[in-house]
Amino acid sequence: MLKVQEIREIIKLIDQSSISEFTYETNGTTVSMKKNNGNNTVQTQVQPVISMEQQSNDTPKTEVQEQTVPSTSETPEKKTELESKTEYDYEIVSPMVGTLYTAASPESDPYVSKGSAVEKDTVVCIVEAMKLFNEIEAEVSGEIVEILAEDGELVEYGQPLFRVKSR
Amino acid sequence: MESTRNKLIDLLANNGEQYISGQLLSERLGVSRSAIWKHMKKLEEDGYRIEAKSNKGYRIISFPDKLSENTLQWGLHTKWLGKKVIHKQSTPSTQIIAHQAAQENADHGTIIIADEQTNGRGRMSRSWHSAKGKGIWLSIILRPSILPYLAPQLTLLTATVLADVFSSYTNTEPLIKWPNDILLENKKTAGILTEMQAEQDQIQYVVIGMGINVNQENKELPEDIKDKATSLAIKTGKHWPIKEIIQEILITFEKAYDSYIENGFPEVKEKWESYGFKMGEVIFIKTLREQFKATFSGIADDGALLVKEKNKTQKKLYSAEIEWFKKGD
Repeated sequence: MLKVQEIREIIKLIDQSSISEFTYETNGTTVSMKKNNGNNTVQTQVQPVISMEQQSNDTPKTEVQEQTVPSTSETPEKKTELESKTEYDYEIVSPMVGTLYTAASPESDPYVSKGSAVEKDTVVCIVEAMKLFNEIEAEVSGEIVEILAEDGELVEYGQPLFRVKSR
Repeated sequence: MESTRNKLIDLLANNGEQYISGQLLSERLGVSRSAIWKHMKKLEEDGYRIEAKSNKGYRIISFPDKLSENTLQWGLHTKWLGKKVIHKQSTPSTQIIAHQAAQENADHGTIIIADEQTNGRGRMSRSWHSAKGKGIWLSIILRPSILPYLAPQLTLLTATVLADVFSSYTNTEPLIKWPNDILLENKKTAGILTEMQAEQDQIQYVVIGMGINVNQENKELPEDIKDKATSLAIKTGKHWPIKEIIQEILITFEKAYDSYIENGFPEVKEKWESYGFKMGEVIFIKTLREQFKATFSGIADDGALLVKEKNKTQKKLYSAEIEWFKKGD
């Protein structure tokens, strides 16, 4: 399911592109966007997902799940209140697909750990793809409250890596 | 200052064997005769040999092979690359200088060059042996207006530039080991390290660092890398003028970069694949979670490594340890 941040990113990318219409479908959730005369309209349709699970001796049962996609009018703050246990108000996300490195070399200490204070320009990790090493800066000043991915992990474009409580 | 000095070199060089008077130089350049004299002293420090004769003037006797901001720029016919040169005789790493310069707003196209690096870096801070005057230790600062996730393509582009220069200038047959090591007969001759500072949707700057082994003799390579590394001199049996190779790289890079910005990755991909090492062969791949062997089928439209395991669908890899030289079936 898409996160608000991801939807925002898609909107931004489509805004900059020459694409006038865009539809994305996954697990029964459809996001479609249309650009008209520079006005963006974003429609988020929520469709029920019906999944059939048949187990050998069980009677077939039908599950109906409702998946909701947060609508883009929701502010990120509102969303974080809803779903997080740890208090945070900013997520540092990966700008590209690649391998996450949390330290400059296998022998060095990690750039940051839980509880580290960061400034806007503090390097928090490196994402590497095709030998391009991208130093990711915190972009906000605050405290790292949660680390969401581990050293050596393959991370996706837009994947949240750290949660920050800004100050 | 720099451009006055370059104009001065131009005037002297175009005059060849003939002397040119201090008066004329001063008129042409619009500076005083004592300024001319100071520039001449500076040129001598850079290794130009200049003859001064009273009542006749000046002429250049010989050009230096030594690197400096002047010698690099003179004869460098580029539009924007290398217009600003930072030259160090010795530095821990040109990448470090480049990052500092970029953070102090150095222009797109600024280059950093060193005669010697005392702490050259490669992937994961692995060291790169960079002896004095034996190779090319160069970093380029770029401020491309592309989205950050496309930036890894610049490392593949740089590899094709080096391969082009090697094959046209030194007449060797380089191959590129994905994503960007240059091999001559299975031995590494050049390595590229690209570092970026970017926000989610905007690149602040990219620093492309390259280390090229040029004039090392076999006995000059450290023991532990002898079976994996080589140099242009070892492969061709002759010494190469470092300055001219750098200029060739900068000219070729500028063309390839401008074309990439205008036309995108397809041209780079095609060129890259023409140099691809082990394309169509089985390679051994190690990621954090798994190890497997697969056929290397080429690179994707975005530069990722395409591999196909037997009876499985094709996979796209952006980052992996690959055992390129493992013997096996």
